[in-house]
Amino acid sequence: MTPWPVVTLVMVLAVAPALPGIATRTRAFLTGRRGMPVLQLYRDLAKLLRKNVVYSETTTTVFRIGPIITLATAVVAATLLPLDGHAALLSFSGDLVAFAGLLGLGRFALVLAGLDTGSSFEGMGASREVTVSAFAEPVLFLCFTVLVLATGELSLAGMLGERLAAVWVLTLPSLALTAVALFMLALAETSRVPVDDPGTHLELTMIHEVIVLDHSGPELAMILFASALKLALFGALVVSLLMPRALLAPPLAALILLGGLVAMAVGVGIVEASMARLRMNRLPQFLVAAGALAVVGVILLLR
Amino acid sequence: MNPATLLVGGVALVLLGGVASLVFARAPRLGDRIHSALMLPGLLACAGAGGAVLLGASPIALSVQPHVPGGPWAILVDPLAGWFLIVLGIAGAAATSYGTTYLAHERAHRQVAWAHAVFALLLAAMAMVVAAHAAVLFLLAWEIMALSAYFLIMFDGDRPAVRRAGLIYLVLTHTGTLALIAMFLVWGRGTPDLTFDSLAAAAPAIPWRGGLVLLLALAGFGMKAGMVPMHFWLPGAHAAAPSHVSAVLSGIMLKMGIYGLLRVLNLLGFAPAWFGWTLFGIGLVSGVLGVLWALGQEDLKRVLAYSSVENIGIIVLAIGVGVVGMAYGHPVVAVLGFMGALLHTLNHALFKSLLFLGAGAVVRATGTREIDRLGGLARQMPLTALAFGIGSVAIVGLPPLNGFVSEWVVYGALLTAAESREVMRFVVFGAGGLALIGGLALACFSKLDGVLFLGHARARPGDGVTGVEPGPGMVVPALVLAACCAVIGLVPALVLAPARLVAASVAHTMNGASAVPAWAAAATGVSAVAAGVILVAGALILFRGYLRRAGELRVGATWACAGAQLTPRMQYSASSFAAPLLTAFGSLAAVQQIRGPRTFRTHPVDRVQDQVVLPTWRALEDWSRRLRALVGARIRWYLLAVISTLLILLYHLMRWKGGT
Repeated sequence: MTPWPVVTLVMVLAVAPALPGIATRTRAFLTGRRGMPVLQLYRDLAKLLRKNVVYSETTTTVFRIGPIITLATAVVAATLLPLDGHAALLSFSGDLVAFAGLLGLGRFALVLAGLDTGSSFEGMGASREVTVSAFAEPVLFLCFTVLVLATGELSLAGMLGERLAAVWVLTLPSLALTAVALFMLALAETSRVPVDDPGTHLELTMIHEVIVLDHSGPELAMILFASALKLALFGALVVSLLMPRALLAPPLAALILLGGLVAMAVGVGIVEASMARLRMNRLPQFLVAAGALAVVGVILLLR
Repeated sequence: MNPATLLVGGVALVLLGGVASLVFARAPRLGDRIHSALMLPGLLACAGAGGAVLLGASPIALSVQPHVPGGPWAILVDPLAGWFLIVLGIAGAAATSYGTTYLAHERAHRQVAWAHAVFALLLAAMAMVVAAHAAVLFLLAWEIMALSAYFLIMFDGDRPAVRRAGLIYLVLTHTGTLALIAMFLVWGRGTPDLTFDSLAAAAPAIPWRGGLVLLLALAGFGMKAGMVPMHFWLPGAHAAAPSHVSAVLSGIMLKMGIYGLLRVLNLLGFAPAWFGWTLFGIGLVSGVLGVLWALGQEDLKRVLAYSSVENIGIIVLAIGVGVVGMAYGHPVVAVLGFMGALLHTLNHALFKSLLFLGAGAVVRATGTREIDRLGGLARQMPLTALAFGIGSVAIVGLPPLNGFVSEWVVYGALLTAAESREVMRFVVFGAGGLALIGGLALACFSKLDGVLFLGHARARPGDGVTGVEPGPGMVVPALVLAACCAVIGLVPALVLAPARLVAASVAHTMNGASAVPAWAAAATGVSAVAAGVILVAGALILFRGYLRRAGELRVGATWACAGAQLTPRMQYSASSFAAPLLTAFGSLAAVQQIRGPRTFRTHPVDRVQDQVVLPTWRALEDWSRRLRALVGARIRWYLLAVISTLLILLYHLMRWKGGT
């Protein structure tokens, strides 16, 4: 067992908070503004960790455990991905179901924590979060289905590893469609434009930001970090799909992952600069479109 | 102890427990104690008998020869029956010990002793359904089960809604039984007797009748399991019954339909691909529609009942994948599919019973089943909230609980099928459907958990809607079931190996079972994921505690976005929580949205019942009313009718005799 899975995991955990900064900076640059520093999220996290927590008197343990579950599930989900291009820390048949299940558990905990405050705003955010996730879940599984069909492997490490490198050229059309679907899914799962707007300041129009209104201090830091980590995880999925790194030396593979993640963040920024947030009732259509791309990917392989 | 003794003794103890409740009706507290003291060991003995067979004891086989047609009444507990005996024993024991406390203070105005006795009869009958290995005994036990369930549903029979639900159930269950009788008659033509062994021996000889048998089995067992579109009796009946009975109806009785389907497949030994695809389709539709309908309900117990339709859908989908695997000669897919179905049967029995027991505690404490009048109960009922929360995470299929384990195996079956080169790989689209079901279930149960237990109470003060934690008699069974959910989720290896054995016996393949170990080994991976979440979460809790030592905890009002103080009336209601999803699914969701100046409510309608079955029934009634003109007619019309009927019968009899 090489140390590279651990090294790359630490690397992803370390660079994850830079990704939202890069996206926001790109958006600011393209819209003619200066924007906040790329490393702003690190500063925010450091500040939040030093701060005190304020709990609402309405809340119970559910509210306090929510951020912890959200971050813990995101971290464990990261151990299932072959971040160094070869192996994952944890890999077994059907671990892709565990990947989706872990993200689901994190979402469940966050939604319940939101409802625990008894605030209508957080109820609204929770309702929107589950609506988006109900449509996002099938898209994720359809994307995984493409990978299973392409590689014949049932674990994330297997399907993103050597087999993918071997069949990559043959299945490129399907994989490209899947990468686009996964990118759209990443926008939805991490609450970016056009699904949600992290830059907005009006509670009535937000999704993710509005569930976490009442969290403060280190717990808010955990939520912000988990959100950035989720962006990094989806980024890693997209990068692994488009650039199979199984045949490269692990250090080079790690570097490519790093470059890919930055490129993904820039891509998110470009999307944010070039389009507005969709109306709430259009969100299902956006995700159904992503699902349709994945279905086309599946059909191309079932031929 | 000999497993056969365990089984017979267990059923006898359960029946005695029922009798004891009647005998001691005048001394109810003593009667309740004796009732539980007899039934709990009885049910656990049944589970033990099943467990012994699964762990390798030789199958239990008994036989008696009564003077009725159809041959001897054989009893056989093979691995398949053993699996369902375990389901019955665990969920039944929890519901029994809960039931004595739950019904204790209904004694003033209800026949509680009779309810306990019929409850015991229901459980004993279900044990016999599972153990029976001859058609006549099976049908007898099946009818006792169906009728005792009817009497339990009618426990609150003075309410019109309950009577209506009971009547619909009674009509439907007998229609189902009729289909089963027809099935056995078609299958048993030409066999020496109607024991399952003779039927199994006759199975290869009925190629085209195999289709008819399977369709009749689908109708009869599908009715009992509550598959769409034969589900509409289920929500009403399960919501009407007392909560511990709902737990048994949803947790165990629905599974008798699943058992029946698996038993028929096991006896036939073959299954055509079309049947697999049919089950697959029915399962997918039941799953999606069931959870969508659950999302729109405003009555707590109806949410749980519709969610049973969803979970039956997942089980039927998995059976469908298993049958498809059998038909295309792919043993691994077959075994994984049946394994998923069996595991989900067990898991659903555990968490749905748990949820119904929790719902019963809420209903008993607050006196209402209307979700939108509840809220903030976690403060008053912390243990119930904990158990219900565990049940919710389990039913949504999230790690680290048992629901995840079965869904993981079902996904495994679907994705393994994708690797083959046959038509079979089209089942892979089921993965997308299953994910949609999972996403909707997450919405449904986060709504239920959040609205019931978190935030503030929604009823106006003075409405008398407050929660009180019930006594240990109602809390402990729920917590025990929650512990079972957690243990299976953390150590799935415990159930995977026996489930694989049973699945291989249904699929009639032992090489399939030997090819599945890759999946059994993966159980360690599932345990590792569960352990990982717990470890990282524990580390984060310690980290938070370390940070917090610096400053003290502050408590304030919920942030109202710089507005005025929030009031409980401002909270999101269950209806508004579900509205975006229900709107997105439009007419499929079958929910009326009622928007008033200051109110928003959703009102669910059951399309199948309200727009198909009842209109058809009324049309039939109207049509048959025309025949009533004959009733008041003269006597010569009657005579003409009688004589012409006789003549027609005679003609057919002569033709039939002449033909042979």
